[in-house]
Amino acid sequence: MIAIENLVKRYGPFTAVDGVSLEVPSGEIHGFLGPNGAGKTTTLRMIAGLLKPTSGRILVNGHDLAQEPEAAKMSLGFIPDRPFIYDKLTGGEFLRFHGGLYGLGEPVIAERVREMLELFELTRWENELVESFSHGMKQRLVMCAAFLHRPRAVVVDEPMVGLDPRGARLIKDVFRRMSERGVGILMSTHTLEVAQEMCDRISIILKGKIIARGTVAEIRAMGDGHDDHLTSVFLKLTGGSGLQEIDEIV
Amino acid sequence: MTRTFPYLLLPHLWSSRNRARRRERGDLPRGVMFGGVGLVVFAALFQGSFWLAGHLQDYEELGDYLLRIGLSWLFLTFLSFLAFSGVVTALSTFFLADDLRLLVASPIATRRLFHARFFRTVVQASWMVVIFLVPVLLGVGWARCAGPLFYLTAIGTVVPFSIIPVAAGTAVTLLLVNTFPARRARDILMLMGLLFAASLVIVLRFIRPEQLLRVESLPDLTDFFATLQSPVTPILPSFWAGETIFASLAGGHDLMHAAALWTTAMASIVVVGAASERWYFSGYSRSQEAPKARFTHFRALDVIASALPLSTVRRQLLVKDLKIFLRDVSQWSQLLLLLALVLLYLYNFSVLDLQRIPYMSGYLKNVYALLNLAMAGFVMATVAVRFVFPAVSSEGAAFWIIRTSPLPLRDFLWSKFWTGLVPVLALTEVLTIAANQFLGVDPLLKVMAAAAIVLMSFALVGLAVGLGARYPRFGADPSQAAGSYGGVAFMMQAVLFIIVIIVLVGWPSSVYLLHHVRHAPFTIAQQLLMPASLALAIGLSLFVWLSSMRSGVRALEGMGA
Repeated sequence: MIAIENLVKRYGPFTAVDGVSLEVPSGEIHGFLGPNGAGKTTTLRMIAGLLKPTSGRILVNGHDLAQEPEAAKMSLGFIPDRPFIYDKLTGGEFLRFHGGLYGLGEPVIAERVREMLELFELTRWENELVESFSHGMKQRLVMCAAFLHRPRAVVVDEPMVGLDPRGARLIKDVFRRMSERGVGILMSTHTLEVAQEMCDRISIILKGKIIARGTVAEIRAMGDGHDDHLTSVFLKLTGGSGLQEIDEIV
Repeated sequence: MTRTFPYLLLPHLWSSRNRARRRERGDLPRGVMFGGVGLVVFAALFQGSFWLAGHLQDYEELGDYLLRIGLSWLFLTFLSFLAFSGVVTALSTFFLADDLRLLVASPIATRRLFHARFFRTVVQASWMVVIFLVPVLLGVGWARCAGPLFYLTAIGTVVPFSIIPVAAGTAVTLLLVNTFPARRARDILMLMGLLFAASLVIVLRFIRPEQLLRVESLPDLTDFFATLQSPVTPILPSFWAGETIFASLAGGHDLMHAAALWTTAMASIVVVGAASERWYFSGYSRSQEAPKARFTHFRALDVIASALPLSTVRRQLLVKDLKIFLRDVSQWSQLLLLLALVLLYLYNFSVLDLQRIPYMSGYLKNVYALLNLAMAGFVMATVAVRFVFPAVSSEGAAFWIIRTSPLPLRDFLWSKFWTGLVPVLALTEVLTIAANQFLGVDPLLKVMAAAAIVLMSFALVGLAVGLGARYPRFGADPSQAAGSYGGVAFMMQAVLFIIVIIVLVGWPSSVYLLHHVRHAPFTIAQQLLMPASLALAIGLSLFVWLSSMRSGVRALEGMGA
């Protein structure tokens, strides 16, 4: 569903993403881990079509993002780390507008909006202004929008930040259900527990380069073998010094 | 199949509708004030243009000629304004707006996004010009008893006339964002601000208004008209617009210039649209890079701050405020425009030759001195509402740092006061003293005006800081805070205060001057009321200053209660 080949992004002399190649097939949840500033968000923003790669190729559902941007974006759902939502629109209005952007007809939009609001437990907030939403509710609303047009692939940047345990559980369930339906999900996270619990495969990025890739078991095997969690192997692979902050150590 | 470009405008329409439905506190007084001011300005512009067009009719061919040049001049002025406004607005709508993150990630064709954004840019950049033009053209049409066709032609002229410079501005923005290092994207605002200020000075210099007061230059009418006509060139859309409207006013048609306007407008949309399709995404991608910090090595600021007799806490607050202000180009670039206007203002006083009105010069000079004081007061209120009123709001989401620190909120607010007072006082004192010097007013008035500015500065800066603390808008852009309920309340109170101070200072000054000229003694009532009037001015200023600050501190301390 998502395939990237030798992706490079340079800002002047600084190389933020350095020859990253990655493949997320249909139905896979792929974890994208790395310390702060490793190049995760830059990579995801390039896949979403928000940043122009210096070189490399991005394919979404077989469509080259550079050649067929509209077709590629039509198959993709993007959940940014800091989402933008029009504050003065209601939750329902925002979703209807979003559906229209993806070319859905009015009856389909109405049905899907209802379905998504129910799924993300936001039905009773449909007619409230977004400015009155809590952070977690905004996060769930953005997820409603990302899944509204039934994308074939989804790119998620830090989905669990700011969510309460119930919200986090809901998101995990939704992601799992979507992947069972064949949606490929590329998810960046600092929460190693989430990656361990949800991801079929994991890529670890450091200083713009992929330094490890495999299933959770394969990644764990790269460590010293004494730790059931990913923390020690993550710290070993990424240097683990105080300079490279880890938001959460399990 | 994605939707057509008007669909992309829906969120703004829906947002406006929702905002209108859910009224916020202060909407009514704000509406009344802005509506009232708008109506007064509308009526004044209509009356002014009606009067002028009516009188010019009395001079037959010469009147027509002057009206024709006047229209070209009017459109020429707006042409430069629209081009500048187009650059600044396009930078915001095409590259910096928050909703672009949503729209660019959606499957929308670049051409559709361009059309939607360009429409928004044209509306945002030109609404002020259109609002100004409506009463002016209505006044002219009314005076000349023009038929409905004139008004239709006016609409059909103003639309393409607005599109052309905004398209040029958009093209310049596209070019600059792709050419300049992207980290400096917002610096373009500063560059454009400078260019606009410079062009404003040049355009006004072209007019040479002082010539109109020189009677001896009147015989040389040819030179005067040549000067007047020199910037009016037939290759500019402003000339086409002026000609089209003038022809329609006379009951005819100027299809050639109307066609030139429309074809150029359409062609500019096509050309800029094509350029946008080719270069928009690379420009947008570059504009997202984090801006580079300026003044990171600006040690002079720290050195100066450390030399000031301030406590460590106040010094740190001052340095923080100054650095944040200096690093935000959108904040201080507006000062450049203000500076240009102040220079023009002073220049006009320097060329005002009041000696040519021998019997009136002494009287006029002193009237001008009071007008100058009022003007300086309004400049002060404008600067205060834009830069001092948002001082507390500008802390934004970081205000928790102040609230959770051991710094008393009283100290925090007073630090904001002193940081705001120094530049406001310096600017308005220079303005007043220099203008009075150019005018050559009586020494007493000079001293009185300088003292009044000190009083007004303390009171208005205190009022701005106090109201800013009572009505903070932590989520909004500082430039938007001026239009909020608190900002409008400040402006209303400030204007009232300035008028009262002018009366309290102006009355004893004029009484003194009259007696000084006539060498007559003061009456007992005058001897009592004159110092009382001045004492009242001082007392009122102190009251406004201290009570505003106290109420601001109380509001901050009560926050979250």
